[in-house]
Parts: sequence; C-alpha cells; structure tokens
Amino acid sequence: MEKINLGIVGLGFIGKIHLKNCLKIKSVKVTAVADVSKKALKFAQELGVKQLFTDYHKLLDQPNINAVVVSLPTHLHASCAIEAAEKGKHIFLEKPLARNPKEGEKIISAARKNDVKLMVGYPFRFHPNFENLKKKIESGALGEIQVAHAVNIGAGPFFHRAEKVIPRPVPEWWFNKELSGGGALLDLGSHMINLTRWYFGEIRNIKAYLGYRFNFDFEDHAICIANFKSGTTAIINVGWFSQKTAVGIELFGTMGHLQSTYKSPSKAITAVQLILGKTPKFFIPYLKEISHFIDTIKEDADPMPSGNDALNDLKVIAKAYRSQVSL
Amino acid sequence: MALVKEAIKEAIKLIGYSFPKAEKIVIKPNMCYYWDYSTGQTTDPNFVAALIEILREEISPDIEISIIESDASAMKCKYAFKYLGYEKLAEEYNVNLINLSEVESEQVKVKVKDENFEFLLPKIIKNSDLRINVPKMKYMAFTKISCALKNIFGCNPYPKKFKYHRRLNETIVALNKIMPFELCILDGIIVYGSMTSKLGLVMASEDAVAMDAAAATIMGVNPKSVGHIVLAEREGLGSASFMTRGASLDYFKDKFPKRKLSDRAIEFGYKLVCALGLDKRLV
Repeated sequence: MEKINLGIVGLGFIGKIHLKNCLKIKSVKVTAVADVSKKALKFAQELGVKQLFTDYHKLLDQPNINAVVVSLPTHLHASCAIEAAEKGKHIFLEKPLARNPKEGEKIISAARKNDVKLMVGYPFRFHPNFENLKKKIESGALGEIQVAHAVNIGAGPFFHRAEKVIPRPVPEWWFNKELSGGGALLDLGSHMINLTRWYFGEIRNIKAYLGYRFNFDFEDHAICIANFKSGTTAIINVGWFSQKTAVGIELFGTMGHLQSTYKSPSKAITAVQLILGKTPKFFIPYLKEISHFIDTIKEDADPMPSGNDALNDLKVIAKAYRSQVSL
Repeated sequence: MALVKEAIKEAIKLIGYSFPKAEKIVIKPNMCYYWDYSTGQTTDPNFVAALIEILREEISPDIEISIIESDASAMKCKYAFKYLGYEKLAEEYNVNLINLSEVESEQVKVKVKDENFEFLLPKIIKNSDLRINVPKMKYMAFTKISCALKNIFGCNPYPKKFKYHRRLNETIVALNKIMPFELCILDGIIVYGSMTSKLGLVMASEDAVAMDAAAATIMGVNPKSVGHIVLAEREGLGSASFMTRGASLDYFKDKFPKRKLSDRAIEFGYKLVCALGLDKRLV
C-alpha cells in the first residue's frame, strides 16, 4: 500500500511529539502541518515538512491528505474533527474527545456518516507497564479486583514551558473553563477513567470530590470514587497541584495486589536522546498509538481507543461533575 | 501566622529599623511563576499578610497598601494573583493588587557602568512613601542567585522580560537605581535550592546588596562571583560587606539545600547545548 499522507493540526507540546514520531513511521508521509504559530511551523519546516499552514481549514482542504492528527485546544476539537470527517480524512484526536458528551456525539456522528476512522489518543493504553497490568488482570492471577487506586498528579498546564530557553506562557484557553471544558478531572481524569474502564469495564456510578487550591473556577484536583458493573471500586485521584509527576495504578485483588507506575524519565536523558535524534522512552507510547492508528487505516480495522470509547469517558466525567462535592 | 509575624517584627527590630510616617506603601513579593509558595519559589501570601498587619499596627490602620507585580514572559499577573493566593489576601486585608504592566509609567534614563539605559518607572512605585521588597532566595541559571536585587526585575512593567537576559546584571542594577526600595524582608521560611526545604529564615535589611550577599553566602555562593551584587555595590546601591544579628548565618548555611554537582553539570550541559544551537532538537 502507498504511504498514508498525514496532516498534523496543532503543534503545541504534544503536537510536536506526534510530528517527530510520525516522521519515523515508514508508512507515513507527513505532508502538511497547521498551527497559528509561525515559530511552530518553522520547527516543522526544519524537520522537512513542505506544506505549512497557519489556517487549519486550508490543510483540511488538501485532497492528497488521507488522515490527520488533531492536537488542538479542547474547544477546537469538535469543529476541526467534524470538518476533517466531512472532508474524508481519518482522524486521530488528542484526548479528551471534546469538552462534553454533546460535542463528542457530534464528532462521532460525523466520523460515522463519512466512514472515516476516529481514534482518541490515550497513550497509557500503549505503555508497557499498563499493558502488562491488563494482561495480569485478564490472567486471573490477582483474583477479582475489589479495589483499584489510580493516580495522575502533576503540574498539568502549569508546568514551566520554555522554547529555546525563552519562557513561554501557559496558553490562555487553559484558564477559561468555557474553552477547556473543565479542570484536572477532564484533563487527567479522562486518562485514568479510560484506563480503569479498559481494565474493569463500564462504570455504574461515580462520585467526585473537587478541589480548588488555586482559586480558579475549575478544579485543580479531584478524587473520584467509581463503582464498576464488574464489582470493582476505583479511587481516581488526579491533580494539577504538584511539581512532581506521579502516574500509576494499584490493584487490590482477592488473590494478590499489584502496582504499576509510569515514571517520568530523567529530563537530562530525554534531552540527550533528542539531541542524538533517538526516540526518548517518553515518546514511545505516543509512537505506538499513532502506529496503531495508521495500521487500522491500512488494514481497515477499528482503532482502539475509539471515539465511542472516549465518548463513554466523557459521559462518566459529566456524571462525576454533576455529583461533585467541593473538597 | 503569629510566629511569622513575630519573626518579622524581631528581624526589623534587630536591624534597628523604624517605620517612617507613610500614607502609601508598596510591597513587592516574588510571584515569578505559577509555583505555589510551598515550593519555596514564590513569596508566601501569609508572610505578606503578617507584614500588612505589622504595617497597620506600626504606622496607621488607614495606610493604603498595594501589592505589586508585573507580567512576565511566562506569567500573567491576572492568573498569578489568583493562583498564588494574593487575590484572596487582597480581599481579606483590603489591599490593592497592582499589575505594573497595566498602570501608568514614565520613561526614566539611568546610567550603569557609564552606559545609558531607559526603563519604565511605574508611578505607583515613584509616588509611594515606603517601598518594601519581600523576595525569596534561590539559585538562578543566568544570575547564579535571585534575592532582593533580582526581585526588583519584576517591577519592570515591560512583560517580555526575556529580552533583558543578555544584559541581566546591568538591567537588575539599573532598575534598582531607578526604584530604590527602603526595606527588604526576606521570606526564607520555605526555600528552594537543590530541593524544597523548611529553612525558617526571616531576614531584614535596608540594604538590598547586603541582603543578597548574605543570602548568597547561605546558599554557598561567593557573593563576589555574583555579577549583579558586584555591579550593584560598584554603582553605590549598597555594600556587600555585611554583619548579621540574631541567629547565626552558619546555622542557615548548614541547613540550606545547596545545589549539587549534578545540578550544575545539567545546567552547564544545557548552556552548552544552547550555545551549539542544538536546543532546537529539544521538543
């Protein structure tokens, strides 16, 4: 099969990782990129991308592009993904699918109507530690999982950004709940809800306790208690309040307990790998998820996690917000 | 907070400082980024609250107090005031929160090392009767340390502050020359060195140069190796020779979480990468 001509829309922090990864996939040709920042476009140009757009609509108009990776701010997910679907492009969309289930449903409907693939980026699903945990649960070695504790704590959007040593501001949309759709529960909670749903199936009910340490109108931390139809109860603990990252899941089963964590690789090692042109460990789950997306296009298979899967995450999160109690 | 208030009072007493008659006071904490005070990188709003209580007790309950900060390359005051708890403090203590990037300023010329510089001087700083600098003490890649002198860099209303990084020492000294602060009170309760640590230090001085020299010594940095301290002394902003009263400087020097060799190696490596132009490979 010929190479998939790919367009990347949005070259923020994650968009740049996707770009670097896509350039390493043999069956992909990164044909075009779009971003409002000229500096970001220059970054792509230096990596060999020929078509550069400040307006993503123009990228979507390119007839030769088969698929797009969309890593835009959350409020632009629906409009961009729907337009991409209508123009016949397969879509890899960064999580969360959208700001709310209503927007998410519109994206799914557009993808279905136009018969294009829709995959949502949840890189932990492609991380070896979390993949192994899934195998362990399925093997029955832990018995039945009664309780799980899922953690995703870090600085969230408030991590200190710099571009060529110049400090960069936190993008404004993160401070606007209308644009972001929510706080830490939507941003980091969607990861852990998706992961626990992958492990334990659908959630019957959920209760959220939301914290506002930093005095905004969106939560900067959340503790959720989710009851799964399978009988497992998960405590989902997410937050943007820490300078140190902690991502992991601890399982307590009737026959055993197991913990799996995602450790942030050393910044120095990552930097050395990037300078030497190697793929840092941190990039690998992102590389695997995009490779999977490309494979589903080539093989006409269903991508995982699918749009519907991500829509269910949004429905759970919406339910959690409705149940909220302030911490 | 009662303990912190007592410590601030004690530090002020130790330097023999008496508050002047004042109607308008500005306080400049360090709010460099969205880093909670508990990280040791920004001034604790409770520390500033304790200071406000002291000022109202010592000067007058009716003084007009403004907490000042300006937008920076990565930090916007409108969000930092909220995130760092200063909006809450302003409501609770009935003080003004001023974003210096949004208020009236005047162009001022200043000479440093016989070279002319021009900066914006916010009128609120110029027209205040008393200016109090409430810095943190920490390491900084471009200036080795950041303390009282560097904190005034944040009074420059121009938001894209990175443009000054090439002439940082001169800029810091120039800004301190056009905006002399009468009193410096260091919030060293929690500090950030190689890691965050409870140091429990409150230090007061009328001389920002002396305070920086003392802070550098505590941090294990020779003040004579810090460009802006040396330059500030040369330009007559104060003296790097200091004398301490109260708890021994060695006590805090032993306790301060000093930078490790590995931290310095990473910093050197990063500078080298930038110098070689390889930084564009870093996402």
